Amino acid sequence: MAHYKDGYEDILEERRHKSDLKYCVKQRKDVPQYKYRKRRSPEEVKEHVIHSDRVKYTVEKLADRLHVTQEAVRREAQSILDEMAHSLNLKAVRGFAYFLIKIFKSLFRRIYVNEEGVRQLHRLIHEYPVLLMPTHRSYMDFLLISYIFYEYDLPLPVIAAAMADFSNMKFFGWLLRQCGAFYIRRSFGTDELYWAIFTEYVQTQLRNGDQPMEFFVEGTRSRTSKSYTPRIGMLAAALESYFKAELPDVMIVPISISYDRILEESLYAFELLGIPKPKESASGVFKARSILSEDFGCVHFFIADAISIRQFSTGHIDRVCHALEPRYINNLTKEEAELTTQLAFQIVREQQRHLVISPWAIMAAILMQSWETGISVRQLVKESDWLKRQAANMGAYVDWPGNTSPDSVVRHYLGLHTNILAVSDDMVMPRLVQPSAHVKVQNDHVMLNAATNIILSSYRNQLMHVFVRVAMVSLSINGCMQDCLSMDNLYSQYCFLEKIMARDFVFQPGHTRADFEQALLMLQHSGGLCASDGGVLVKKSITKHTTFYSQMFEPFLLAYWVLCQHLLSMSGSVHGRPLPRRLKDLARDAQVLGKRLVEQEAIKHYEVLSLDILGNGLATLASMGAMYKDKRNEENWLSPNHVMVSQIAQQLAAFIEVPAVQVTQEACKSIRVVLTAKI
Amino acid sequence: METRICCCQPETSLRCENCASKDANKMVIEQQPSSIPKRRQELLRWNGWGYKDSKFFINKNSHMEFTGERYRLSGKEMPGFRDWMIATTGLSLDHKAPAQQEITAAEIPSPIVNESFMEELKRTSISFSDDPQDRVFRAHGHTLHEIFVLREGCFQRIPDLVTWPGCHDDVVKLVELASKHNVVIIPIGGGTSVTGSLMCPENEKRMIISLDTTQMARILWIDEKNLTARIEAGIIGQDLERCLGEKGYCTGHEPDSMEFSSLGGWVATRASGMKKNIYGNIEDLVVHIKTVTPRGVIEKSCQVPRISAGPDIHHFILGSEGTLGVVTEVTMKIRPVPPVKKYGSIVFPDFESGVKCLHEIAKQRCAPASIRLMDNEQFQFGHALKPEGGTIFTQFLEGIKKLYITKIKGFDLTKIAVATLLFEGSKEDVLAQEKKVYEIASKFGGLPGGEENGLRGYMLTFVIAYIRDIGFDYYIVAESFETSAPWDRVLDLCRNTKDRIRREVKERGVQFPPYVTCRVTQTYDAGAAVYFYFGFNYRGQHNPVALYEDIEHKAREEILANGGSVSHHHGIGKVRKQYLQKTVSEPGVGMMRAVKHYLDPQNVFGNGNLMIPDSKL
Repeated sequence: MAHYKDGYEDILEERRHKSDLKYCVKQRKDVPQYKYRKRRSPEEVKEHVIHSDRVKYTVEKLADRLHVTQEAVRREAQSILDEMAHSLNLKAVRGFAYFLIKIFKSLFRRIYVNEEGVRQLHRLIHEYPVLLMPTHRSYMDFLLISYIFYEYDLPLPVIAAAMADFSNMKFFGWLLRQCGAFYIRRSFGTDELYWAIFTEYVQTQLRNGDQPMEFFVEGTRSRTSKSYTPRIGMLAAALESYFKAELPDVMIVPISISYDRILEESLYAFELLGIPKPKESASGVFKARSILSEDFGCVHFFIADAISIRQFSTGHIDRVCHALEPRYINNLTKEEAELTTQLAFQIVREQQRHLVISPWAIMAAILMQSWETGISVRQLVKESDWLKRQAANMGAYVDWPGNTSPDSVVRHYLGLHTNILAVSDDMVMPRLVQPSAHVKVQNDHVMLNAATNIILSSYRNQLMHVFVRVAMVSLSINGCMQDCLSMDNLYSQYCFLEKIMARDFVFQPGHTRADFEQALLMLQHSGGLCASDGGVLVKKSITKHTTFYSQMFEPFLLAYWVLCQHLLSMSGSVHGRPLPRRLKDLARDAQVLGKRLVEQEAIKHYEVLSLDILGNGLATLASMGAMYKDKRNEENWLSPNHVMVSQIAQQLAAFIEVPAVQVTQEACKSIRVVLTAKI
Repeated sequence: METRICCCQPETSLRCENCASKDANKMVIEQQPSSIPKRRQELLRWNGWGYKDSKFFINKNSHMEFTGERYRLSGKEMPGFRDWMIATTGLSLDHKAPAQQEITAAEIPSPIVNESFMEELKRTSISFSDDPQDRVFRAHGHTLHEIFVLREGCFQRIPDLVTWPGCHDDVVKLVELASKHNVVIIPIGGGTSVTGSLMCPENEKRMIISLDTTQMARILWIDEKNLTARIEAGIIGQDLERCLGEKGYCTGHEPDSMEFSSLGGWVATRASGMKKNIYGNIEDLVVHIKTVTPRGVIEKSCQVPRISAGPDIHHFILGSEGTLGVVTEVTMKIRPVPPVKKYGSIVFPDFESGVKCLHEIAKQRCAPASIRLMDNEQFQFGHALKPEGGTIFTQFLEGIKKLYITKIKGFDLTKIAVATLLFEGSKEDVLAQEKKVYEIASKFGGLPGGEENGLRGYMLTFVIAYIRDIGFDYYIVAESFETSAPWDRVLDLCRNTKDRIRREVKERGVQFPPYVTCRVTQTYDAGAAVYFYFGFNYRGQHNPVALYEDIEHKAREEILANGGSVSHHHGIGKVRKQYLQKTVSEPGVGMMRAVKHYLDPQNVFGNGNLMIPDSKL
C-alpha cells in the first residue's frame, strides 16, 4: 500500500514523520471563502436568527394562537436556539486535532483522500455556498471530515448532528459544538417554532456562506453499511433558499467514506438484534480506548463532483411563483418537493457510485453463503476473484491491490477480522463474537451466532447496491417454473421486488424501467442471462451469476416472509381486525417467530432476526397498503390487512424456498414467548 | 423621390382649425423648430446613438477622446479610460471591427406601394417621403440587435413610406386612409425605443407607412391657473423643457433619453423620469390624452385631476406601444422651475449598505428629486471616464478628502458604492432635504462625497449611451436592461443576476469575462427600479448578437425568478413579448387583445408589439 494511488493521497503518511504539535498550530494559508460572505461570529449568527423575519413571524403567529405573550414564545425560541447552535472556533479545533491525529494514526493504516475532490472544493467554496453530503456509517465520519478540511486548509464545516446521539455525552457534545456541530432533534414535524428556527439557522448560514455546511442525507448512521433511503426535510429546508432566489446557486457535494472496518461493528450488530446498547457516554468513549489497539485498515474518502441545484432544477421548477408572498413564509411547491426528493436519491446514488469496495466486502459476500459449511481458503480466493470481476463489471470500484497475489490479499483481510472468523486447517469458519463487557451477555447461542452473522453481513452489505438490480432480475428467473419468462412478466416481478425492498435498498422514484433495462443488459453482457425474442430462456439463464445474486438477497425476502407469517398469525379481535400495535413491537414479535424457526433449523439465515430488516419490511407493507395505520400519540400503530399480507407472502414464496410451517400454531406460541419474556 | 411640405409646419404660422383652442387663461407659445429635423440623418448618427458630431474615438495619443462641443466631456481626453476598457473587457486596440460605411440604396428593400392609398394621400397636404435613407432611419430603435444590423447589413423589412403629419387632423386623415386601403401604420417619435418595437414585422405584405410625429411639436397653450400645458405629442423632451423653461415652467419629466425621445413615445411606453420623486412618472403627469385610433378619437371630455368613471381609459393608452393608435395631443401638469437645483453624492462602504440606506430614505419618504446608487463596477467606470490625469481614484479622493479623509480610511475602494443625488426646491427646502438625507446616510456608514461627483454622475448618463458605439468598433457588444423589484428582493436580485450573467458567459465559452454592473435608479414605497449594464468582448464568437440575446434572456429569467418585473419603463415591444402572458396572466392578455380587436380590427397598427399575436407565415 502506498502513499499515493489512483488519484488518492494518504494524509497520514506525512503525519507519521512530523511533529503533531506543529501540525496543530500550523498556519492555514489561502483558506477559500465564499465571495459574498460577510464575516460573522457564531453568536452573530444566532443573533440574526432570533431577529429574523421568519422567526418573528412564527413567534407572533404562535403567541396569537396559543394565547401567550410573545415574550414567552421568544424565550422558548431562544432556548431552542441555544440547544441547537454550534460555537465553532479554530482554537478548539486545533486542540482537538492534536488528539484526533493520534487516534487516527493508531486506528488506521492509511486515510486516502481524492486530491481532485479537494481541488474542486477549493474552487467551489469561493464561488457558491457548499453543502457537504457524506455517507454516514460511523461516528468517525464527523471527525474525519473536519480533520480532512483542517488538513487541506479548507474552511471548517458546520455539521448537523442528531441531538439524541450526544445528549448523554456532555463533555463530548460540548467539544463537538466547538468544532462546528449543531444539534437537531430527531423529529419535530409539527413543532412550528422549532421548524422556523431550524430553517432560519440553516438558511442564514448557507446564504452568507459562513462555512460549508455538512449534513447526512441518510438522516442517521447506517447500522447496516447499506445506504438508507434519504431524508428530505433538511435538504428541502436548505434548498428553499435557492427556490426563493436568496442565493445564486448551491453546490451539493456528495462524499463517500469507505471503511475497511467499522469501529462500531459489534455495537451495531447487537443493536440490530434489539439487545440494548450501552448509553453513549463519555466513559463509553474512554472505554472505547481498548479499540485503539485494534487494526481498522484503511479509509477512503472520495469527494464527488458537485451537483449544482441550479443545473439540476433547470426546466423542472419555476421560481417565479414565490414572487407573491414574503419569502419567510414556508411554502414549497409540489414540484419543488418532488425535485428535492429526486435530488436526495441522486445524492445517495452518487455516494454509492464512489464508495470504494474493499476486498473484504467481496469475501464477506462469499462467506455469507457458506456460513454453515465453512469454506477453504483456496476456494475463497477463487470465488472472491470471480465476484470481484463481476462487481467491477457492474461499475463498482474495488480496491484490490494490483501487484499482490489474490491469496495474500485474502489472508491479509482474514487477519483483520479475526474477531468473527477463525482459520484452521485452511478452512475459514465463523467464530462467535465476544460481546463487549457492557452489553448484557446473553448465553443465547442463536443470538450470538446471529450477531456474528450480522457483523459479517454488514460488510457484504457494502456490495449490495452494486448487485441489487441484477439480483431482482435473477430472483425472478430462478423462481420461474416455465421454460420462457416473458419480458412483461419479468418486469412486473421486478416491480414487485423493488416495491417490497424499497426500504432496504435505495431506488430512485420514477427510474424503475430504466434501472430494469440497464440490469437486463448488464446480465446479458456479463454472460449471466440468455434472452430471445420477447422473453428470457429460463434454463439457459440459471447460471452461476443469477444463482449467486439471488442467494445474496434471499435472506431479505425470507425475513419479509417470516414477517408476513407473523402478521397472518395475529387473530382478529375488533371488527375482525387484529389490535393495532407499534411498529417496533410488531418487529420484535416477528423476530421471536424467526428465532424459533432458526432454532428448529427450518431457516438457516440468521439475518431474518435483524430488527432493521423486519422494521423496513413493516414500513414497506404499510406503504403498500397491507397495513391499517392508526395515529396515536404522534406514532403510527399498525394492524395487518390479512388479505393483502397473505397475497404478498405468496408472491414472496415464489422467489425463495420457504419452510412449511403451521403458522397459526407457531404464532400463538411466539406470543406467549414474548409475554414470558416481559414478565 | 417625393417630398412635400405640409400646410401646418411648426415654423409657419398656418394652423389647422382644431389644433389650438383659444382661451383667455391660456398663453399661446411661439414655436421653435423641433430638435429633430425631417431628415434626421443630417443631424443624428444613422447607425448608432445620438448626434453625428459627438462620439468617442481613440486619438493620436492612443487615448480615448470625446468629440464635439455639446457635452461637458466634449473635446476632452480621458487618459484612464482605454486602460480601464482593456482591463475589464480584454479589449485590444489591435483588433478592430469597423462598421460598414453606408447602406446603399441597392441594399435597401424596395417599397411595397399601395397605389390607391398613394393616390388619396397625394390629394391631402400631408408631407411624405419614400427616400430609402429616410425609411431605413425609421425602421429601427436602439437595441443591440438593431444597431448591429445597421453596422453589418440591412433590415429585411422597412417602412415603405415616411409621413410627417403636422397636426391632429392630419393624423385622423392618415388613419382613415390607412383603414380604407388596408395599410399598416407604425408611429415613431424620437426613435429611441430599446424593445424592438419600431421594427417592421418581416412577413408583413401590406404597405407599411411610418408615421413620424416629430413635426407635431407645438406647445398649444399653457394654463397658468391650473398649471397645465397642452402639447402636441411629437415634441422632443429637451424642446419641451426648454420652451416651458422660457416661460418659467417645467414638466420635470426627464428620462435619460430626453435629448431625443418624444412625449408621445413616453405615453406609449409608460416612461419614467429621473426626477419622478417630485414630479411623478408619465402616468402621474398626464391630465388628458388624445389618441387617434381606427375606431375614432379617444379622449375624455374634461381635464380634471382625478375622475371615477370606470377603468381609466388613459391606462389603455399608456404603455400601448403603438398598437392601438397615435397619441396626438397631451395635457400635462407643469411646475414653476425650482429656484435651487443642487447635486450631491454619498459614498457607502459597500453596495449593500447603500441599498439599505435608499430603502430607509424611501421609508421616510424624504427622497430628493433623484437618488441613484451605483455599484462598485459603475463607480470605477465613472472614474475611468475622468478627463483629468492621475490614477482613477486620486481625483475622486480630492473631492472628499478635506473633510473625511481620516474617516474614509476604512473604506475599500474596490467595494464602495456611490449614490448621486439631485435636490430641487427653494433654498430652505434643499437645505432641509440635504440635512435629512445625509443624516440617514450616516447611519448606514455613508459619507457625503461632494457636489462634483454627483454632477458628473448625472452628466455621464447622457454620454454613457455613446460608449456602445466605440465598443462595437473593438468587438465589444453591450446593452442595458432594467427591472423593478420589491425592497426585500433588491440586493439578492442584483447579486444573483450579475452572477448569472457571468456564469452564462463563461459557460458559452466566451474567452473574456463580461463587464456587468447595476445601479438602483428609482426608489418607491414598495420597491426600487434597477438598471443593469452588461457587455462583453466577443472576439472569437460567430454570432455575438444571438449570444448576447440568449444571455440577456437568461438574465431576464433570473430577474423574474428573483421577483423582479419584466420591465420598469422600457416596455415589452417585441423582445420581451414571450414574458407578457406570464406577467399579466392569460385573461390579462386576452383583455388587451379584446381592446385591440375593438379599436383596430384590421390591425392597421400592426407593429407586432405587446399583445399582438405573432403572425405565422
